[in-house]
Amino acid sequence: MFEDSQLSKFFWFAMSIAYAFCFFALYTFATIPEYVLELNNTAQNNITMKLSNVRLVIVALALLLYPIILFGFFKYAKYFTVALTSWAVAIYIDDYFVLSEIIKYPESRLISLAQSLRPIMIVSLFCMSIELVFRPLTVD
Amino acid sequence: MKDKKTNNREFTSILWNAPDKHSNDKDYIFQSSTFRLVLGFINLYGIILTILFFIVKGNLVGGVNNNFLESGFLSVLNARAILLLLLLMSLNISAYFNYGFKYVCLIMLVYMINSAIDNAVLFSSFTHFTDRPYFAAFNASRPLFIIALFWVMIFHKGNKKSIKIV
Repeated sequence: MFEDSQLSKFFWFAMSIAYAFCFFALYTFATIPEYVLELNNTAQNNITMKLSNVRLVIVALALLLYPIILFGFFKYAKYFTVALTSWAVAIYIDDYFVLSEIIKYPESRLISLAQSLRPIMIVSLFCMSIELVFRPLTVD
Repeated sequence: MKDKKTNNREFTSILWNAPDKHSNDKDYIFQSSTFRLVLGFINLYGIILTILFFIVKGNLVGGVNNNFLESGFLSVLNARAILLLLLLMSLNISAYFNYGFKYVCLIMLVYMINSAIDNAVLFSSFTHFTDRPYFAAFNASRPLFIIALFWVMIFHKGNKKSIKIV
C-alpha cells in the first residue's frame, strides 16, 4: 500500500495519529461514567454534552468516509481533508475563544487528556492537508 | 508602395501574434458575471451581519430583551462577527489574486455550517421569529448564504496546475 501510493509515509503516519485521536475521543465520550455526569449535572455540562454528541456523530461519519474518498475518489481527498482540518480548527477556536463562557466539559481525566491532545490532531491534519494540496499532479 | 500587400500581411501577422507573446492579459482569468454577482451577495451578507451585530451591541434594536443579551450570546456574536470579517477579507484577497480561492471558500463554508450547528444546539430557544425577527431572518437566510458559497466554490475558474511527468 505504501509503495504503490503517491503519498509519503509521513502522510500515513499523520493519518494514523488523527485516527487514533478520533477513536480515543469516541471511546472517552462513549464511556463516561454515570456518576461523573450526575456530579456535573449543570445546564452548562448538559449543553456541552449535547454539542459533543453532535460533533462525535460528525467525527464517526468522517472516519467512515475518509478511507472511501482517499482510495475511491482521490481527486476530492484534498478538499475533504482541508474541510476536516478547518472544522477541527473551527471547533477548537469555538471551544476556547467563542463558547468558553457557555460550555463546560465534565471533570474527567480522560476528557482532560483528550482536550490536551487536540492540538496534536490538528497538526497532523494540517500535515495531511499540506501534503495533499501542494503535492504536484503526476502523470504516467 | 509596391510591397503594400506584403507589408500589410506582415503587420497583420505581427499584430495577431503580439498579444500571445508580449501581453500579460493572457494570464488573467475573467470570472463570469454571475460569479461576481454571487460574490457581491456574499460580501453584502457578511457586512450586513456584522453591522447588525454592532447595532445589537449598541442596544439600538427593538425586540432584543436583556435575557437574550445576558445569556452569553453577545460574546458569541462578537467572536463570530470578527471571524466572519477575517474570513471575508481572506476570501476577497484570494479572489483578487486568484490563488487558493477554493480552499478559502471551503474553509468559510465549513465555518458557517459549524456555527449554524452550534447555534442550533446551544441557542435554539433564542431564535423564535416573534422575539427576534432580525436574527431569525438571518438564521433563516443562512442556507442561502451557504448555497451561494458552495456555488462560488464550484464555478470559480482557477489557475492551471503544473503537472509532473513520471
